[in-house]
Amino acid sequence: MSAKVSKLLSIILAGSLLLFACQSAAPTQAPAQTEAPQVTEAPEATEAPTQAPAENRVLKVWHYESDTGAMGKSWLAAKEEFEATHPGVTVEMDNTKGFEEIRQTASMVLNSDEAPDVMEYNKGNATAGLLSQQGLLADMTDEVMKRGWDKIVVGGLQTTSRYENGVMGSGQWYGVTNYGEFVMVYYNKDLFEQHGVEVPTTLEELEAAMDKFVAAGLVPIATGASEYPAQQIFYELVLSKADQDLIDSYQLYKSPVDFHNEAFTFGAEKMAEWVEKGYIEKNSTSMGAEDMGLGFESGQYPMMISGSWWYGRLMTEITGFDWGIFLFPGNQFNPGSGGNLWVVAANSENKDLAYDWIDITLSPKIQTIMGNEGGLPVNANAEEITDPKVQELVQAFKEFSPGAAFYPDWPAPGLYDALVSNVQELINGTMTPAEMLDAIDTFYNENKPQ
Amino acid sequence: MSRQRGTASPKEGVMVNRLPYLRKGFWVFLLPGMIGLLLVIILPFLVTVAASFTKWNGVNPPTWVGLANYERAMGDLKFWASFRNNLVMILAVTVIPTILGLLVSVFLFDYITRKFNPGLANFFKVALYIPQVLPVAIAGVVWRWILNPNWGSLNVMLESVGLESLVRNWLGDPTTALPAVMVIMVWFQIGYPLVIFMAALQRVDPELLEAAEIDGATWLQKFFYITMHQIRPEIFVVVLTTTIYALKLFGQIYVLTRGGPGSATIVPSYYTYQALFEQANVGYGSTIATVMTVVIILLTFAFIRIQVRNEFSRQEI
Repeated sequence: MSAKVSKLLSIILAGSLLLFACQSAAPTQAPAQTEAPQVTEAPEATEAPTQAPAENRVLKVWHYESDTGAMGKSWLAAKEEFEATHPGVTVEMDNTKGFEEIRQTASMVLNSDEAPDVMEYNKGNATAGLLSQQGLLADMTDEVMKRGWDKIVVGGLQTTSRYENGVMGSGQWYGVTNYGEFVMVYYNKDLFEQHGVEVPTTLEELEAAMDKFVAAGLVPIATGASEYPAQQIFYELVLSKADQDLIDSYQLYKSPVDFHNEAFTFGAEKMAEWVEKGYIEKNSTSMGAEDMGLGFESGQYPMMISGSWWYGRLMTEITGFDWGIFLFPGNQFNPGSGGNLWVVAANSENKDLAYDWIDITLSPKIQTIMGNEGGLPVNANAEEITDPKVQELVQAFKEFSPGAAFYPDWPAPGLYDALVSNVQELINGTMTPAEMLDAIDTFYNENKPQ
Repeated sequence: MSRQRGTASPKEGVMVNRLPYLRKGFWVFLLPGMIGLLLVIILPFLVTVAASFTKWNGVNPPTWVGLANYERAMGDLKFWASFRNNLVMILAVTVIPTILGLLVSVFLFDYITRKFNPGLANFFKVALYIPQVLPVAIAGVVWRWILNPNWGSLNVMLESVGLESLVRNWLGDPTTALPAVMVIMVWFQIGYPLVIFMAALQRVDPELLEAAEIDGATWLQKFFYITMHQIRPEIFVVVLTTTIYALKLFGQIYVLTRGGPGSATIVPSYYTYQALFEQANVGYGSTIATVMTVVIILLTFAFIRIQVRNEFSRQEI
């Protein structure tokens, strides 16, 4: 009898442990259970908005811009404007979740009861494209036409707002951008002057400048390889030898990509060489974007290669030295595009308010605030932007615009992580440039839309 | 103990024989749990297994691909790296904390409590248990600060005492990333076995220890032949639960390294997550999850079998 009791207890214990153990497999169930019905649920959700009463409604807005940056400041102004024009409606704005967090959890968040009505989200096939395909984003095409947003967000900026079967460039509108963005070189003017370095105009001049800094015991470029910054440097180096055909092949799948062509080989080899020469530090493998930004702000690094999303924040936070910007020397193409998107959750009950919110953020009044705070607005009153620092940025944006090459992680879901880990391997020297390109080649071809 | 069981069983038997409905009745009470188990565990697990034989992005209809995902896994270096790292994690989450926990708990129980006072032992117990209570995300961020290569306190401290040669890019260098994560895991885990063993030690019959002492047993002999023997069930529970925890480790890796640099610290749970949520590759993600679950089930049954066998041998004694 005691043996039986013992066996029964063992079975119960085993059952409960199985329950415990199988929790690890829980993520697998999430898409299987929740995503499949999305396709059918989404249209229903879009047809049944605005059930909530007109009074005491709450619009939940999530974004990941700093309150001290251009976008953050302008959207705080938009909140005031919105609440003034919508009595009884409160805007609950939350920017406590970072870019990485929203990037990684968006599909789960939008599937939950806690989903915001409108959210800033990363543009591209692997992100907004994927969510649009999963039925998690509202199709806002009708609203775009009705409110004339297609007249504000024009040309190349529309590329990232429209998706067809999850691929950007055409089809329905699943997001609307507020601003443009591009990657450039931020430089510490004081350190440049102190070491007798001029602003470089070619890659050779840039390398010569970095040699001077290395000789003086400085690490020339602040970067972080555990997040996006290092892969953007790699992409800049690839773009230094790329043409429009290669960009179209890589980003828009117009033809197969040879990852051992001149451009990619140059990018990978140059990146490894830069690490070897001390232009980029190996320590960057455990540092993220925030570490990079803080490093540059501290005045320890002469340069930082990153996006215009830092501009407003640097204008506010750098007080100890003078700084400026230039486009990556010698490059016709640079990473950049329309900015991140406002997307509306497919199951939002406040779609009307969400569209009003987007409309207000696109209004000249708010856009001008964004411009004056160092952003790159799409609908500002140009004559009202007076800050010389902002004018410097707007000038660089004009130079950049014809050569927008989007971002290296866009073409395939998960390519971001593949680039992070393979660029880390390249920096650590645990992969040769050829091996790193092989790894990216394999990942790209296995995961790009077939 | 065996005598108690011996007397209890016939009584139970008589009760059940007199009231036969009791024999059937207990199924009703098991039903809610069984339904929950079926809906929350068994069905989703079967769906996961089925998905592992498909190519599926979670949206479009899945395509049957047979064993292709498993074949891919066999040749996938990252897949093997993740399971290899898992073995190392068992060392850091189970083996080292269990041994350390045992030693520290005996030290606190035998030495600190008796020579000083129980309050001091409790203080150490609570202090060592705190990492278990701290949210993983917060502890992870703090550890990242401590280990930051440029301004982290560990490197700064090493430099300030003249040990520059030991300064490392702790979480960014593939040779140090895994050991660094292991040390952090030991810190996370040490409190759990400690608290269980401290409670278990209360159960050890002091008369046995006293008798052994009179017979001239040394401290080590008492520890190995009496204490460890008496608290063996607790050791089993700790080893089993922490091994399962090690096999499905996710949070710490997510916060500390995201599996990097490269795939130096990747573990199956995180790899599954990447495949499912980053790449929308439900088929392959399900494959990794299925393999991981099968490994956990096999290990669990092996452990329980050993434990049951041990129970029998104890009863026979």
